[in-house]
Amino acid sequence: MRSNRLFMMVLANLRRSRNHFLLASIGIVVGIATFAFFLSLGLGVRQVVLGKIFPLDKLEVIPKSLEVDVGPIRMGMGRDVLDDEMVAKIKALPGVKAVYPKMKLTVGSIAYGGEALFGTDLRSEIVADGIDPDLMTEEIDRDGYEFADFDAPERLAEEPLVPCTKDEECGKKMYCGPPAGSTVERGGTKAKAKPKPRPKPKPRPKPKTIDAKIPTRTLAPPTAPPGTQATPPKPATSPSPATPKPGASPRPATASAPAIPGASASAQPGSPSPTTPGTGAAPPGTPRTVPRTPTPKAAEPEPEPEPAKVCRHFVPVIVSNHVVELYNGTLRRAHNFPQLNPDAVRGFTFDLIVGESMVLASNKDRVVHDRGMFVGFSDKAIPLGITLPLGYVQRYNVEFGNAEDAQRYHSVIVEVPVKDDVAMVAKGVEDLELQVKDSGAEQAALLIAVFMMVFGLVSAVIVGIAAVNIMHVFFMLVYERQREIGVMRAVGATRGDIGRIILGEAASLGMMAGTAGLLLAVTAASIFDQVSARYVPDFPYKPTTYFDFPWWLIVASLAFSVSFCVLGALLPARRAARMEPARVLSGN
Amino acid sequence: MIRVRGMHKSYRTGKLVTPVLHGVDLEIEDGEMVSIVGPSGSGKSTLLHAIGGLDRDYEGTIEVDGRDLHAMNDVELSAYRNRHVGFVFQTFNLLQHQTCAENVALPSLFARGKQVMSHGQALERAREVLARVDLSDKVDAAPTTLSGGQRQRVAIARALFNEPQLMLCDEPTGNLDSAMGAAIMDLFCRLNREDGITVVIVTHDPRIASATHRRVRVQDGRVLEDEGDDDLAATPRAEAAGEAKAEASADGGDERAEGTAEADDEERRAEG
Repeated sequence: MRSNRLFMMVLANLRRSRNHFLLASIGIVVGIATFAFFLSLGLGVRQVVLGKIFPLDKLEVIPKSLEVDVGPIRMGMGRDVLDDEMVAKIKALPGVKAVYPKMKLTVGSIAYGGEALFGTDLRSEIVADGIDPDLMTEEIDRDGYEFADFDAPERLAEEPLVPCTKDEECGKKMYCGPPAGSTVERGGTKAKAKPKPRPKPKPRPKPKTIDAKIPTRTLAPPTAPPGTQATPPKPATSPSPATPKPGASPRPATASAPAIPGASASAQPGSPSPTTPGTGAAPPGTPRTVPRTPTPKAAEPEPEPEPAKVCRHFVPVIVSNHVVELYNGTLRRAHNFPQLNPDAVRGFTFDLIVGESMVLASNKDRVVHDRGMFVGFSDKAIPLGITLPLGYVQRYNVEFGNAEDAQRYHSVIVEVPVKDDVAMVAKGVEDLELQVKDSGAEQAALLIAVFMMVFGLVSAVIVGIAAVNIMHVFFMLVYERQREIGVMRAVGATRGDIGRIILGEAASLGMMAGTAGLLLAVTAASIFDQVSARYVPDFPYKPTTYFDFPWWLIVASLAFSVSFCVLGALLPARRAARMEPARVLSGN
Repeated sequence: MIRVRGMHKSYRTGKLVTPVLHGVDLEIEDGEMVSIVGPSGSGKSTLLHAIGGLDRDYEGTIEVDGRDLHAMNDVELSAYRNRHVGFVFQTFNLLQHQTCAENVALPSLFARGKQVMSHGQALERAREVLARVDLSDKVDAAPTTLSGGQRQRVAIARALFNEPQLMLCDEPTGNLDSAMGAAIMDLFCRLNREDGITVVIVTHDPRIASATHRRVRVQDGRVLEDEGDDDLAATPRAEAAGEAKAEASADGGDERAEGTAEADDEERRAEG
């Protein structure tokens, strides 16, 4: 029996008995609508909860520490950081695809700016951490924005510095500022009401011996043509005979040339060494050894040479959606600020002053004055604060700490592509005396799974009852059509042919009822979303849609519907196939 | 050639067993036109259905062209019914929701192997067969709009669709008035004569039986008589059918359409 002719016959039969089938399929339609509606609701909510509130795709591993409460103080025992060796061990665990160390900024810092957004400049103490930019490539790097370590030594070596005097001279998404790595004395540069024009930072020598791995600031020789009247910056470092031993005093006021192999290599020894007016005494190749704490107000006759300004990339900054939710949901109301559209905030710039704090005791005697730019929002960012590419945080921490700080990670994001491997990786992490940070995701996931299972079960019961109804209708139809079935057998239909016709009708009915149920579910979902958008007040993480209809849910709904209809028609089809044609046709 | 040997058949209703056929032996040659006559409940229809492969629940053997029907599985038996047998029933058994052509093309739906054809080809073939039963103008008509005789001709066309060697007719004129019955008998005779189709007709009407070459009387589950026409040449079957028609009482079926009813009325008036 050719399938296309079978299909035509089946459709004709369905048309013929449409009233019976319409009634019989109501249960299936309702059941499938329930199934699709609640499953898609569960999936949609899970997407919000697990994707935004508790991301579960990547585990965060933190050091296991025993904490002892001593009065109001909680004393951490054991280490609270991870080093490169430990990171390598985590990466070696089976099931782990990649590891991305995270580091917290261990020095006070201030963000300043925001007039364009809030109508007034804001000044805020900020909490920051650094994550591997590779982790964010897919999420952030688009529309010309990039979450990358622009000040990484390798990158600085490739991009020659362009001297400038004002922002307009620099390219898009760049500004004119002191060379990377410059620090200025805090007192003289304290951001006041308006930091513009920004205080001129003074170069500071790299006083420490830094491991080659530690990102360093390097000034490549300027590429300004010789005729250009610009003050080229000095090369940051160059090979020097006076290489201090590792672990040398980290903060000499004037240090000898740091031994930074990477930096040294990037100094392009072959290129002509620029000279700086005023520091001409310094022989070419001399590292920047400008005194770190010159007092501008001092009555020294010879003014400190101003470091050249160069075009710099903004420090790319991402913030968590939590921050947006917190701002839009609560904070803005307190200050009567406008509600922010996260997409439009991209490109917003502000001053980032590292080393300065509202907590007076945390103030350093010098600060790094960079400018930051919001490049995007991500749930991988620190929940409250800003997240920078790891290299920046490493350099800031080293700048205000010591060389070892470059590998004192506070946590590691572990990417486990296969969900089933999560338990195994968690076990491996435990064995390394570390722990997986509990985000509450498991409980939330369990809750949603239970919700979906309950409603899945409810819809299965509805569809099951409907299948019984379908069975009843098919038994009736088989009885009504027994003479017709007898004729078909007489003209050559096998038992299988008869069964296929009945089951084909059931499958087609299931397909139609399933489609109708899906349409009903989608319609109900859209009404639900519209009602929510219109009448439900905003709340944190309020989604634009609560539903998710992935392709597999549609396929599963249809398969569910078809299989239950076929299941219901199985016994009637069997009876039809086994009918004795002779008895039916002779009317006995 | 059909050879029935020692056929026994009983119907079971719960614990009640009703024997119908008790050791029937019968041979029918190719190209014969045979009637099986006997009173109601004598088992003639049961015998017909078994020969047609509609019923396998019997004892004994039925061989058709040397093949034992009892030994065939469902698919083989279905193929046998599809290709080699054409059934014609008393109540026509047309599918009311299909057109005449679709009804006639029904066997093509269950064709296998080389017999498989498309819907278009099947309808084309149905038109040809309907033309053979003089119903070219009713191709797209619904069976409900036809007279009883026309319906039976559609049913005959359906039986002829796959050019069977054997035509099994179960009281084919039982629901028709005598004129219509005679016309149908005439058609069977023509098919037998011109196409060499073996025709087996079950009837309780001796006049219909007399229009066939050979009459097999079944009574109480046994073949009681088996008589053949020796003067076939002298009595053309069509004429015999005509005589039967003239004498037949107007016990026309309730399936008759208006046209047929009118014809019957005229006939009654003539008789009256």
